Amino acid sequence: MKHPFQIVLVNKAGTHLFASVKNHLQVFRLSDGKVVGSWIDTVDMFTPLKKQQEEKIKVLQEQNKQTEESENNEIKNESAEPAEKKSKGNDSKPIKIPKIPVPGPGAPPIYNYIRSLALSEDEKHLMGTTDSDKAAIIFKVDLSSEGNCLTLIKRQVFQKRPCAVSSDQETLIVADKFGDVYSIGIDNEAPVDEKELSPILGHVSMLSDVLVATYNDKKFILTGDRDEHIRVSNYPKSYVIKNWLFGHHEFVSNLHIPEFDSSLLVSGGGDDYLCLWKWYDNQLLSKIELRDLLLPFLEEFHLPPERFLTDESQKEISIAKILTFVSKKSQKKYIVVLAENTKCLLTFELKADNTVTHKQTLTTDFPIIDICLISENSSIIAAVDRETSDSLLEFYTLGDEDVFEVQSHTDIIQTITSANECDVEKRREFYPLYYINTLRKRSEH
Amino acid sequence: MPKPHQVQVIKDRETQLREQQEAESKRRTYRDVKEETRKKHKKAHFEASPTPEESTSDKISLPRKRYYRQRAHSNPFSDHRLEYPRSPDDMNWEKLFPGFYDEETKQMTSSVEIADVGCGYGGLLTKLAPEFPNSLILGMEIRVQVTQYVEDRIIALRNKHEDEDVNFQNIAVLRGNAMKFLPNFFRKGQLSKMFFCFPDPHFKQRKHKARIITNTLLSEYAYVLKEGGVVYTITDVEDLHNWMVKHLEEHPLFERLSKEWEEQDTCVSIMFNSTEEGQKVTRNKGSKWIACYRRLPNPEECV
Ligand SMILES: C[S@@+](CC[C@H](N)C(=O)[O-])C[C@H]1O[C@@H](n2cnc3c(N)ncnc32)[C@H](O)[C@@H]1O
Repeated sequence: MKHPFQIVLVNKAGTHLFASVKNHLQVFRLSDGKVVGSWIDTVDMFTPLKKQQEEKIKVLQEQNKQTEESENNEIKNESAEPAEKKSKGNDSKPIKIPKIPVPGPGAPPIYNYIRSLALSEDEKHLMGTTDSDKAAIIFKVDLSSEGNCLTLIKRQVFQKRPCAVSSDQETLIVADKFGDVYSIGIDNEAPVDEKELSPILGHVSMLSDVLVATYNDKKFILTGDRDEHIRVSNYPKSYVIKNWLFGHHEFVSNLHIPEFDSSLLVSGGGDDYLCLWKWYDNQLLSKIELRDLLLPFLEEFHLPPERFLTDESQKEISIAKILTFVSKKSQKKYIVVLAENTKCLLTFELKADNTVTHKQTLTTDFPIIDICLISENSSIIAAVDRETSDSLLEFYTLGDEDVFEVQSHTDIIQTITSANECDVEKRREFYPLYYINTLRKRSEH
Repeated sequence: MPKPHQVQVIKDRETQLREQQEAESKRRTYRDVKEETRKKHKKAHFEASPTPEESTSDKISLPRKRYYRQRAHSNPFSDHRLEYPRSPDDMNWEKLFPGFYDEETKQMTSSVEIADVGCGYGGLLTKLAPEFPNSLILGMEIRVQVTQYVEDRIIALRNKHEDEDVNFQNIAVLRGNAMKFLPNFFRKGQLSKMFFCFPDPHFKQRKHKARIITNTLLSEYAYVLKEGGVVYTITDVEDLHNWMVKHLEEHPLFERLSKEWEEQDTCVSIMFNSTEEGQKVTRNKGSKWIACYRRLPNPEECV
């Protein structure tokens, strides 16, 4: 069987699918499923450890030099130190080479995989982040190319793990685990030493999502964090904070601005609801309740971890993805929501007066890992959690009455799935597919 | 130089433990009694709660610091569940400043204008109180017991000076992580002064992000400060002073105030020796470094 796809992303025209599995990235032509681009991350988790080791050696060499100097001084000062110490004289000591650190048994494992993916506005670049070496990766995308459509043009390493990316024409915006946001050029210039980089803004909380947004030709950066904060900062003068959007009680994991109305923002995370905002006006338009709709799909998995479990514990909702589209048939506007590890998608109609009503609960046979949407024909491509070698995707097409229908066994799905190069023996070898709920803050009772 | 020989009385472990436990239980009993008083008087609850009880007119003694001792450092990154309002709109200031609440209109007659960030034992608050009788002054402190000490101190002061002009109704303290939740308490441009007195130095390079003044946090302070508002800093650690100056200098929304300005400003002279940490530095004959910065207007194109 194959390892499920972890991230799926489609271009606006809906002609190509970008998908990641572990450290593999592939681009598929959707007309026939042919692979037109691929990239394998060869930086494994030992690369950063080796780098750490080299740095340690450097520090040791430096210290060695210094102690030698001070020892030489001591000799001049006729110290009362024992004689054998003096006798070392000028010949330099051999340095003990520190071992490459091996993470202890309790340490959280580092997975060599791609954590986030995004296309630039003009779709000429694909950007992502890797966990192994805490880097942002930038590819040039040339879909007309006869060969590999992906060319890696930059790999910028950061001090802390990058969690989310967004972009603004020539600039990549990266949000990290430590709460800082950096901007780096989308170009093929050499990466900068990560210690030289300084953040353009920061929260004192892990960041979960970042967006560059525009209002009346003015740009802003929206950031969401593991507390419940959403911040709106001016951009590029991001040291001027415009305001905070207060409405969440739990972590924020997803920020989405509809293509059809960039003054709106839909946000979701660990709450039982989504928030619909006029983000520029600092106005919460409505809360979209999800619990009753999702309840039939919540399982054991959604309970808090054992040691936080109490009699009152409820199953928890974590938002994995929020998308929006306009139906070509009816011109109505919709919001699509995926909650982590559920066998369903919820759709809501967004009315002209900004009220929101539930439209459909699309039930699926397998938990959905990630979704993307082709606006051209309002169809959804989903990566599903299955133990199979031929159908790791599902297509949901918009039928009459703006209701989605499942298409799960097309030739294209088979072609794409069999091109997935990550074979596994059993489910146990899967990388963690669901980790959004780990953002939830817990207190022991 | 070899150390002089030290004679140490080594108590056996059991005695040590017993003594420690006795001391802690004594401290706890003391704090429990104080807690009763505190509950009777006021408690900062953020979401709506029943009306506060009428205050008693019994004399309340000033709390003694030694019963509230606590480990010096608290991790500003950890997510211990702190109580904080969902947004500035959800904050019930009347619980903290009952003297500035108008029963008829159900409105506060004034809002917090001065913040002492990491106020410690609250010395600065008590000295600022008479200086700005019409301004609300709030101390923020992350350590629980230290905060309780300040609460008890303010209750006792209010009680003692009830009928006087300076009645300490304009100062209050709350427990909170100022590095994470400042915008939950204060609106944009609400504050006119922010004090950072003898902040924790966090010497290690690795810990520098835990410092309370960083480029990125300064943007949050700039957000809650009004144009022309002032950031006051004082420290006895030269390296930290240089650090704070460097970051404030680099931040486009702050401008250093001159030595002359410092000399004529009342708050600078109050800040110099009114905090507990500042007094300790004086006793130890340490140096003190001051830097004050004015909040500049936002660039025109920014909102
Ligand atoms: C060295 S003491 C100085 C106290 C007081 N300003 C004085 O001068 O006496 C620093 C204080 O800041 C508090 N503190 C540190 N980080 C804080 C944070 N993020 N929010 C609120 N208080 C904090 C500490 O608990 C400590 O009491």
